[in-house]
Amino acid sequence: MSEKTQATRRVLAEYTYEAPPVERGYTGQTLYVNLSDNTISAKPVTDVMKEKFIGGRGFGLWLLWHGVKDDTKWNDPENEIVISSGPIGGITQYPGSGKSLVVTISPLTDIVIDSNVGGHFGPLLKFAGWDGIEIQGKAEEEVIVVIDGVSGRVTIEEAPDAPVDTHLLGHWLIEQLAEKKEDRYFMSTVSAGSGAEHTRIGCLNFSLYDRKRKAPRFKQAGRGGIGTVFRDKRIKALVVRSGPVRGDSNHPADPERIARVGTRLHKEIHDYDDEQNRMRKRGTPYLVQIMDDYDLLPVHNFKFGSHSDTPKINGDVWEARFTQGLPDGCWYGCTMACSHAVDAYTVRTGPYKGQKVIVDGPEYETIAGVGSNCGIFNPDDILEINFYCDTYGIDTISFGTLTAFVMECYEAGILDKEKTGGLELTFGNGEAAIELLHQMGRGEGFGKIAGQGIRRMKEYFVSEYGADPQFLQDIGMEAKGLEYSEYVCKESLAQQGGYGLTNKGPQHDEAWLIFMDQVSNLLPTFEDKAEALHYFPMFRTWFGLVGHCKLPWNDIVPPDNRYTDEPAKIPEHVQNYVELFSAVTGREITKEDLIAQSEAVYNFQRVFNLRLGKGRREHDAIPYRSQGPVTVEEYESRAERYDQQLREILGLDPEGMSTQEKMAALRKYREEQYERLKDAVYERRGWTPDGVPKLETLKRLGIDFPEVVAVVQKHL
Amino acid sequence: MKVLSYDPELCVGCYICEEVCSETWFKVTDGEKSSIRILDEGEGPLRAVYCVQCGECIAVCPTEALYRDRKGIVRLRKKLCVGCLSCVGFCPYLAMFIHSDQTEPFKCVSCGQCVEECPAEALAIVEVETARAPGVQV
Amino acid sequence: MIRVNNRDEIEWEEGLTPAALLERMRYTFPHIIVTIDGEVVPPEEYATRPIPDGANVQLIHLIAGG
Repeated sequence: MSEKTQATRRVLAEYTYEAPPVERGYTGQTLYVNLSDNTISAKPVTDVMKEKFIGGRGFGLWLLWHGVKDDTKWNDPENEIVISSGPIGGITQYPGSGKSLVVTISPLTDIVIDSNVGGHFGPLLKFAGWDGIEIQGKAEEEVIVVIDGVSGRVTIEEAPDAPVDTHLLGHWLIEQLAEKKEDRYFMSTVSAGSGAEHTRIGCLNFSLYDRKRKAPRFKQAGRGGIGTVFRDKRIKALVVRSGPVRGDSNHPADPERIARVGTRLHKEIHDYDDEQNRMRKRGTPYLVQIMDDYDLLPVHNFKFGSHSDTPKINGDVWEARFTQGLPDGCWYGCTMACSHAVDAYTVRTGPYKGQKVIVDGPEYETIAGVGSNCGIFNPDDILEINFYCDTYGIDTISFGTLTAFVMECYEAGILDKEKTGGLELTFGNGEAAIELLHQMGRGEGFGKIAGQGIRRMKEYFVSEYGADPQFLQDIGMEAKGLEYSEYVCKESLAQQGGYGLTNKGPQHDEAWLIFMDQVSNLLPTFEDKAEALHYFPMFRTWFGLVGHCKLPWNDIVPPDNRYTDEPAKIPEHVQNYVELFSAVTGREITKEDLIAQSEAVYNFQRVFNLRLGKGRREHDAIPYRSQGPVTVEEYESRAERYDQQLREILGLDPEGMSTQEKMAALRKYREEQYERLKDAVYERRGWTPDGVPKLETLKRLGIDFPEVVAVVQKHL
Repeated sequence: MKVLSYDPELCVGCYICEEVCSETWFKVTDGEKSSIRILDEGEGPLRAVYCVQCGECIAVCPTEALYRDRKGIVRLRKKLCVGCLSCVGFCPYLAMFIHSDQTEPFKCVSCGQCVEECPAEALAIVEVETARAPGVQV
Repeated sequence: MIRVNNRDEIEWEEGLTPAALLERMRYTFPHIIVTIDGEVVPPEEYATRPIPDGANVQLIHLIAGG
């Protein structure tokens, strides 16, 4: 370790406070920071907030709603970034209880984005005295914001020496701010990187200090360009510091009940993870081979669902690369421990060439996105992209999906070497993909165009290169402006809705129904699909209200689950959540209350989208690539399946038809199906056929606040 | 290393060991605060649950609060413990215990107090080369 | 012939077991519940329990995906 040198830090604003004790999961206040006028203040957490918005994403939406105007754009000073964990966030006894939820108006979608992230920031922010932080305004010069719960001091500071890219900045902040060795244990940072400021797909990195590796690790709030907003506000980093975390720091109403539920799940993971998903050894990459086996792994911009080279990048490969036997949880007590890393990776390209680094991940989404979907089956290419995406502050999912789109455009002749500045962006060209990423980091060349995201690329390719707009619409895997996450949903109508009928855009965190629908055939009717597209989005929204991770819900399954009445819901684990919420807050709830809590917040978010000029039926449109075969090549790859559908469902004889005719007939049918699905789902959710929440729905959920009703009334 | 050993043939089920243990470490007589538990499962011989110093829990501890001391005994530094109870769920012998009076778990450290007081001489401190492998039944 | 997931008609053969059926369908997901004519089969019997001809078999996959 080099001699510690004190860098220049100039305090622009200071606010002193005494951190209130946490009571039953809440501190009772949120922190407001305005970077335009350098004001800092505390806001009380009201009963309405606790009762209706719970915490996390709910608090974020409520604070953002009051912070912005109807016409606020992502880069207006009044746009905010709000970070909050939730009442359960910060307990240490139950796996997956340290999540933070981030919301802002997205540069990709122009509506609210919410992103769920691990790392220690959210819980430590609470233990530093704050249920959430709300950042508004835009700094004149680059700043860091330091929240020190130990000394009771919040500062906005200029730190001109601080690097921007996360893997350097994370170390720099520890070096500068952790006085004693133990200080780094209870410190966490939020940062983006140079790529976030040159693109619209910027992510945020949330740190945790890994005591075994003696280094900070980073988890990503990836989706929707929040890192771009962060850099637009000229923030280099947020830093939080709290006193030592203890088993009762969250001060729950009934700690014994939490201990009972927590130790039971720890034991379940101990006993069954090895024979189930092996999350402790492989993490989410276990999914790569499974998705390939079921023809669901995106290959070549979602054209295909499997590839013969998948074994080169599947879970076995990553199990061998990940350092084994470490407690890889992203918050204390997560024995699911999916947060693996490749240690001592030597960077081989770009500005950090030759450095030995920790690569956090790769996760399934990264492997599928920047790997198979781009036709890249070289694990070292995936690691190189993963490392640079994180340190540049770029979302690996959007990067993967948009690069796959670019590669298809290249192979279709829409792009060529001249247009890409010499990059031969064909499927499988890892070196070209890596250079594209470096261009995003530098804000140069074709990388700058690609970094605007698929929606803006489509417009650009049409206006500048005369590309066929219909073809680009069909193959561009974005909806609402957000790039798809990495599952092929062509053969699952329910999952087309799981992606399309979402609040923020096509991210599968609302619902993943492909197996229930396409494989197990458990959702045969529109009503069945609509019910699933009501229940699961509401259930899964709840994780983001309380500070939980979704994975310990169903990536470990109790052995007697098969004998329960609704095995897909994992009833025992749902009951665990009921117990945890009741035990932390002292408010006894049932599993039905849990859905009702989410439903209020979910509908509020839909109304928020309406307020921002979106959120209606037309905005739930999806690209045809997500619904069926766009090209002859795709049709032929699954001709048997498609021909059978024409025969059995549409009563057509494929024998006498050309492939084009068959594709047209199938497309007409599938597009109609999706419209019928919308009708069924809107009805089930209590919305009008235009996708607008009805007044009676808002009343039933208790969110019929005058300003909410006023927004909806314009559309009824 | 020195570990506790138990002979079910000799045990008379008087539970004095539990009392002695809780008195030694918690200054109260309360079997719920003992690091050795004698189980009567109705049929078959009595069974004792206690730490065999296998150290499986050390790897799952996220804060390095659990460690093996120079004599080979697995110990908990309470100051570093965040009370996550990972070790409780991951102990192959279910020998890491909790009580609602404190957030940190507790375990046998082979202190031998129970051995001294056992009237049936069912308990002993024995020297072993390596701790019994997890999965091997008591 | 057996019927799988109320949809797929699968050729029956003597000695067909859940394990053999899962392999034939290439169903590799670790969380699959097997029922034969409505009765849940314990996993330890996947390799031995015979599936009778004409059976209605369900291979229920729990939810996957990040």
